[in-house]
Amino acid sequence: MSHPGKSPAGTRLPLFRRAFVDSWRSTLAWAAGLAAAAFLYLPLYPSIGGSDQMQEMINALPAEMTRALNYDQIASGPGYTQATLFGLIGFLLMSIATVAWGAAAVGGDEESGQLELTLAHGVRRVQVVLERALALLLRVLVLAALAFVIVALLNGPSQLDIDTANLFGAVVLFAGLGLLTGTSALFVGAATGRRTYGLAAGAAVAVLGYVFNAVGRQSPDVEWLLRVSPYHWAYGNSPMVNGADWAAAGWLWGISAALVVLAAVALEQRDVGA
Amino acid sequence: MDIAVTAHSLTKSFGRREVLHGVDFEVQAGSVFGVIGPNGAGKTTTMRCLLDIIRPNSGEVRVLGLDPRAGGPDLRRRIGYLPGELFLEGRVTGRKLLSHYEAVSGPVPPGRIDELAERLDLDLDRHTRKLSKGNKQKLGLVQAFMHQPELLVLDEPTSGLDPLIQQEFHAMLREARHNGQTVFLSSHVLSEIQQTADTVAILRDGRIIAIESVTGLREGAVRHLRFTASHTAAPDAVALLTAVPGIGNIEVLESNGGVTLSAVLEGAIQPLLHALGRLELTDLVLEEPDLEESVLKMYAMPQKEVL
Repeated sequence: MSHPGKSPAGTRLPLFRRAFVDSWRSTLAWAAGLAAAAFLYLPLYPSIGGSDQMQEMINALPAEMTRALNYDQIASGPGYTQATLFGLIGFLLMSIATVAWGAAAVGGDEESGQLELTLAHGVRRVQVVLERALALLLRVLVLAALAFVIVALLNGPSQLDIDTANLFGAVVLFAGLGLLTGTSALFVGAATGRRTYGLAAGAAVAVLGYVFNAVGRQSPDVEWLLRVSPYHWAYGNSPMVNGADWAAAGWLWGISAALVVLAAVALEQRDVGA
Repeated sequence: MDIAVTAHSLTKSFGRREVLHGVDFEVQAGSVFGVIGPNGAGKTTTMRCLLDIIRPNSGEVRVLGLDPRAGGPDLRRRIGYLPGELFLEGRVTGRKLLSHYEAVSGPVPPGRIDELAERLDLDLDRHTRKLSKGNKQKLGLVQAFMHQPELLVLDEPTSGLDPLIQQEFHAMLREARHNGQTVFLSSHVLSEIQQTADTVAILRDGRIIAIESVTGLREGAVRHLRFTASHTAAPDAVALLTAVPGIGNIEVLESNGGVTLSAVLEGAIQPLLHALGRLELTDLVLEEPDLEESVLKMYAMPQKEVL
């Protein structure tokens, strides 16, 4: 009746597989949303970003507004893709998805009472956090890869004139930004055991990052805001146009990894479901 | 191994509120150990300490010879746990959920899951969140029993189960015990503990106020007694009865020629029978020992009197 302490062969990373497989519907829905947004925006470039009329209209807008929306760069195909897809609608979708996934991974699972049963089985808490973070990473990569493929696909037909290396760099930053919001939500959820706190933390990183970037670009007096805006780290130098700032990518991915480790440590230290 | 679980001076506080104030007990390997107590007595907290879901502030716990925290996943694979409140909300079927837990804590003998599901009358192909409370509970029981763990820790295992399934569950407990598995279960229904456990611990306000074998509890329990005797005067009958050790609450219900008395008996019945033998009885009712009553009495008693 007693068994040696080994799980049967062929069942590596069971928590990762469950986390990923159970959420395939959600992953698919977000992927569909991202694809729809890309297919909606990018083909409009020749008639919007590239047209002189549009440029005149943008010139007529208040300079603060164009800067806040990153519309100062939409006259070129790469700049247009940067501003509309990676900087706005894609960023929005990716942030909402990762915050929801990150907050649910540990905090949400604990709040719904299911984490207790999982932890009563043959798993380590560190393993729970790492495998679920891995599932989060994979979902982010799916969305990022999808963005890469769609932009590459529309590059020719939509006359975007995008350099593939720059696109790759921008996608790495796009994924890094998504990971940072997601792992912030994961960490706070794991530390507090509350889904709502995780959601709030992830949303704060995304929204404040965006707002600090928009405000920080307005005047040298508030330029310091840019330094604390992950959004600005990623997109400050317009990676689609100028190529990725790989140091920024390193920071985004590195901090995300550190947050996962902190989440594991936090969960390891405390009582669950108390 | 003779002792499966021990706890010594276990304390646990949540913030400023101390929930366990020094819990001590030992569970013999291969026995069924029942913990009973009112809500909030600390049953669930004690069980969670055994699984390292929460960590005690002080005191020592040994589960199958190991500290739960140091024992880690290998120790927990040797335990089957049913939480007191079971939440299964995933969009997965029972079967998939069980194979997930098998991957984590297995191995499970082939056919074991279906056999248990059949015994408990559980449909494994329905999505877990669509299951009724009782069916979720059955799924919880299957995941606790399926890998035939050395120790079963079951928090209110029969809550939500209908009486037939409860009986099946009791049969499963007997089999587990027969296989040498140890069971640690909690309940707030004494009759359940009485039917299944060898030993019962009574937990109140974060302390164990009594640990007794169920047989011992039964002996110490109160029985209600009523009899009618002819050709006897009430005072004589009362005097006769008063001499019996453990008799109390004597009441004369009727007295015209014969006499009808009621009383309660706490303790052995032989002296009572001896005394009654001198009377001409026309009716005698000696009820089943009422454990519920003696336990409720212990709940209500001040701490010192119980010990």
